[in-house]
Amino acid sequence: MKRTASLLPALVLLSTAPVSGRDLFFDEQVWPKVGAQSCLKCHKAGGDAEDSKFVLNDPARDKTTGRHVSQIHNEAAFARMAKSMKDGESRLLLKATGKLDHEGEEVLKPDSAAYRLLADFVKQVTAPAKEPQVATKTNERPFFADVVMLDDPHVIRRASLSLAGRLPTQDELKRDVKMHLAALMKEDAFYQRLREGFNDIFLTLGADGNADQTFLSYDHFPQRHWYQKWEFADIAEEKDRKQAGYKMAREYREALHGEPLKLIEHVVRNDRPFTEIITADHIMATPYTARGYGIFEEIKGQFKDTNDPFEYIPVRLHALKGRSKQQDQESGTGFYPHAGLLSTFQWLCRYPTTETNRNRLRARMYYQHFLGVDVLELAARVTDAAAVTAKYKVPTMEASECVVCHKTLDPVASLFQDYWRFADQGVYGKRKDGWFTDMFQAGFEGEDMPGEERWRSLQWLGERTAKDPRFAVAMVEHAWYILTGRKTLLPPKDLEDPLHDAKRRSYTEQRRIIEETAARFIKNGFNFKHVIQDLATSDFYRADGIASAIADEKRLAELDDIGIARMLSPEQLERKIAAVFGRPWGRLKNTDGGLAMLYGGIDSKEVTERATDPSGAMGAIMRTMSNDIACKNTALDFTRPAAERLFFGQVEPDTLPGTVESDARIKSTIAHLHERVLGRSDAVDSDEVSRTHALFTGILTDAAMSRREPQESYYCRPDPERTPIPDPHYTIRAWRGVMTYLLRRLEFLYE
Amino acid sequence: MRRNFLKLCSLAGLGVAVPRTLRAADKETPPYEGPYYVVFNASGGWDTTYLMDPKGINEINRLYKEGDILTHGAHKFAPTGKTKDGGMSNEDFYAEFGTELLVVNGLDYSVNNHSPGARYMATGKLDSLAYPTFAALVAACKGPQYPLAYLTFGNYSNTGNLVAMSRVPYLPSLKKVALADHVEGNERSPYHEGFVMDRIEQALARQHQAADSQPRLPRLERAENMLYAAQVSSKALQRVVPHIPASSPKERMSQQAEIALASFKAGVCVSANLTIGQFDSHANNDRDQMKLIPEFLAGIAYFIRRAEELKIREKLVVIIQSEMGRTPDYNKGNGKDHWSIGSALFLGPGIKGNRVIGATDEKQMCKTISAQNLALDEKGIRMRPEHIHEALRQLAGIDQHALAKKFPLGVKPGELLKGLWG
Repeated sequence: MKRTASLLPALVLLSTAPVSGRDLFFDEQVWPKVGAQSCLKCHKAGGDAEDSKFVLNDPARDKTTGRHVSQIHNEAAFARMAKSMKDGESRLLLKATGKLDHEGEEVLKPDSAAYRLLADFVKQVTAPAKEPQVATKTNERPFFADVVMLDDPHVIRRASLSLAGRLPTQDELKRDVKMHLAALMKEDAFYQRLREGFNDIFLTLGADGNADQTFLSYDHFPQRHWYQKWEFADIAEEKDRKQAGYKMAREYREALHGEPLKLIEHVVRNDRPFTEIITADHIMATPYTARGYGIFEEIKGQFKDTNDPFEYIPVRLHALKGRSKQQDQESGTGFYPHAGLLSTFQWLCRYPTTETNRNRLRARMYYQHFLGVDVLELAARVTDAAAVTAKYKVPTMEASECVVCHKTLDPVASLFQDYWRFADQGVYGKRKDGWFTDMFQAGFEGEDMPGEERWRSLQWLGERTAKDPRFAVAMVEHAWYILTGRKTLLPPKDLEDPLHDAKRRSYTEQRRIIEETAARFIKNGFNFKHVIQDLATSDFYRADGIASAIADEKRLAELDDIGIARMLSPEQLERKIAAVFGRPWGRLKNTDGGLAMLYGGIDSKEVTERATDPSGAMGAIMRTMSNDIACKNTALDFTRPAAERLFFGQVEPDTLPGTVESDARIKSTIAHLHERVLGRSDAVDSDEVSRTHALFTGILTDAAMSRREPQESYYCRPDPERTPIPDPHYTIRAWRGVMTYLLRRLEFLYE
Repeated sequence: MRRNFLKLCSLAGLGVAVPRTLRAADKETPPYEGPYYVVFNASGGWDTTYLMDPKGINEINRLYKEGDILTHGAHKFAPTGKTKDGGMSNEDFYAEFGTELLVVNGLDYSVNNHSPGARYMATGKLDSLAYPTFAALVAACKGPQYPLAYLTFGNYSNTGNLVAMSRVPYLPSLKKVALADHVEGNERSPYHEGFVMDRIEQALARQHQAADSQPRLPRLERAENMLYAAQVSSKALQRVVPHIPASSPKERMSQQAEIALASFKAGVCVSANLTIGQFDSHANNDRDQMKLIPEFLAGIAYFIRRAEELKIREKLVVIIQSEMGRTPDYNKGNGKDHWSIGSALFLGPGIKGNRVIGATDEKQMCKTISAQNLALDEKGIRMRPEHIHEALRQLAGIDQHALAKKFPLGVKPGELLKGLWG
């Protein structure tokens, strides 16, 4: 069933691994622990210290294999600064501790581990007589040593449930995993999961207000309320027409909300380069939303069914025409300058701006969504932020503490300058008083946007984003989130932590798979399906256990994030119930008093992070679900012909323990239940099956001790009339108890 | 194996979700008896000069002058009785709670942005995404086995993987889950007969023990423990039912209050994060703050009064905070932008009231204090969230707990705020 990872020593193939013959100490110690954390933020192109003599290259933007160029450049820069002396002391150390003129003041404490590392580096480069440390790591224990991996059939089951919400067929279980994944990614259910996963990231479904009011401005879309004039001539009753009108409005708004996620689906489904999510020169529109945009008559011939609110096709909007000339959109082509998601009304409305925010929220979300950079993630402490704010007229352009982020953020914020409408006023529009002059002007990472590009500023940004190596990495990280339910690891910061090296290895190993996958993603023309295939066949996705107990705390820290062990979201649990039982539960919804929010779901507005661990309230929902699903399905299954049953094809209500033959059938049924419900391949004589068997027989023993109703509970009768289901031996109810037990197990509730 | 796991958890910083008492599934955990920790959060950044740090000078406030500032015992506060838009005035709030209230002014949030500010104020750590909020930490230390140990209604809520967070959006939601083993929550309609349910619980306990004896990846082990704990502890939720009021109050904070109070009273909850938003008054500061501060205070007062009725007020530790303050000047839109200096309020058992610690100057800049006697001291320290959080940990008696030590705040011994709580 499972295989153990190879114990052979692994060759180090890190994409960020040191170049052969170069100094391992710099690459593995000085750079990640000091340079990347403490220097790079300012000392890079576009950074606050870009005019200094100590300018580093950001490896995340280095397209060369193994990031050689940036690593060589950075080591040389460090070495030069280390060798440069002032009164007998290295400038590198003096600057880092704020003893020489240094805008960043003290970035390292003299008694810190980071300082000691830097001091060691200075010693090494200033007394370079001995050989540099170029030790290989071939003797290092493989990262996945002793980790038990899922075999192919179980990976296929896991991926089928996760990505397509269904169980694999017996034939599919024998397939090559990648081939099976490729087949799964043709199914509609995969695209539902894909949209759901990307909404967890982009949260565009959480854009406020009625979509037709919020996304489509009064100024530019006079037909946005087209549904209010729909006559429903074929409906006789007034109240029925009213209901039909409500339904039409609801579906229209739902279709509008769905457009950005459908764009992602369109790109993936058609094997388009995934860069199109920020470069596509179109949106996705349906017959309903096209009416709102005022282009229905023009494009209606392209729809298969003009009454289908959810038939999406790619569409280019014309440049926006306002009610007055000043509201007209400038365009070099006559069309709206689409830039994938970036220019969609939904994304822009989900991250609105204000007079004081100046599009900085949008810039921040742009960095987070498309380059994987959380600008505010680890904000630098300022000695006295209030004093800095008060001291400068424009702190964001003058105070180094502020400039460090704003020099990156504000040019991107300025690229959104023509999308200057506030809540409920649509999206497009120029600021009445002209764009702000007291902030960094439109550009990207040190490159100014030429004035003639302003009408297509988001396209200009999208083109640069697509070429930025961070885009590919960020998209692989999104795929990782969709597959595992958690974000990728951040580098450990605390150099004094005794487990730092172990945590660093865990981070580095994960980073390696992310970056290797990103490199292949670029090479494969940004085909997102390949990313899913790569990650789902990696050891990270297969890891499922350990061969023997681990006592070493460092090894435990290394493996801390290994294994999926992901609690299913409300949506995933509903799909899994449907896959195993043939129909969903239906109570884990966000609407109509559903339990989704209580079960850790999100509303994409206020609650945007899914719960990852179950609370007691969620434990209660698990109990209700297990009771209810067992109730609805056990007796029902026995009413089917044996050959058509999903669960109890080998037993009947009168199959009682006590004979060799009946015991064999009962145990075989239990093994089948384990396989279908839990995904476990347990032998009939296994401890697992014995425990479930003991539950079944224990219930029957207890039941026999006093007089019981000879029929299944009223609530668990399957037909609407509640026709009694005879259960003279209590076996149906005992099997229901077994089913409840299985539905409360981790193997069912988790991935 | 289990013993090893517990030991290694504490070393590796992993959450320990299943206390040994829970391993016997048939033993019901006794109710949690307090103290109950509740954090009220004014999300978006409140204007402290319209509450506990009044100025009335240098055009900091347009609604009152320095001479209008009111006092109550040691407290000074801004007058809002005539300018508030609904809710509770400062005058009424201080009259009712001033003698119990500890005010900390001149708190240096260090940053000007919502996200890091909210994280810093909630956890006491600025530069880490891993740290638990104080509410989560105290729940993990004092009662992770309770089904709603850590309730949150928003704001930064990270758990540090120590305890599960519970979101209960509506009062009726509590009813829905309280009787999970009964059809539609009807006590007279159990899904299974009692002996069957007992058998199921025993089988799950045996299965959990069997899994416990097998070597597992740390992540899987933690998941199994948390799942088992959640299911077992959920049975205690039925204790909440008698405390769920028949009708829900309309005010947004009062609704959160009723859910938290019912959970406290039932002994199934240790801590709760309550929050209301929209304090980010970049435009029309005075209009917004005069609506929101009174609403916020009214919600807090509602909570405390209801706690009194439920006879748990004396066990409530109340923390009132925001992630940032507002600038001392108005912008062109009559709003106020982000300001990195602010205040916090506290009351509850172990906290001596009628006191004000720290201050801001006439330009709303932070004044330093002596950590030794808390008096203003030019050579003293800038009071920051980690100082407050270290003191909160001491107040809760968890500063030496293994889980708290996994998340050190880095406060130097000489900077511990001596006698903050009186």
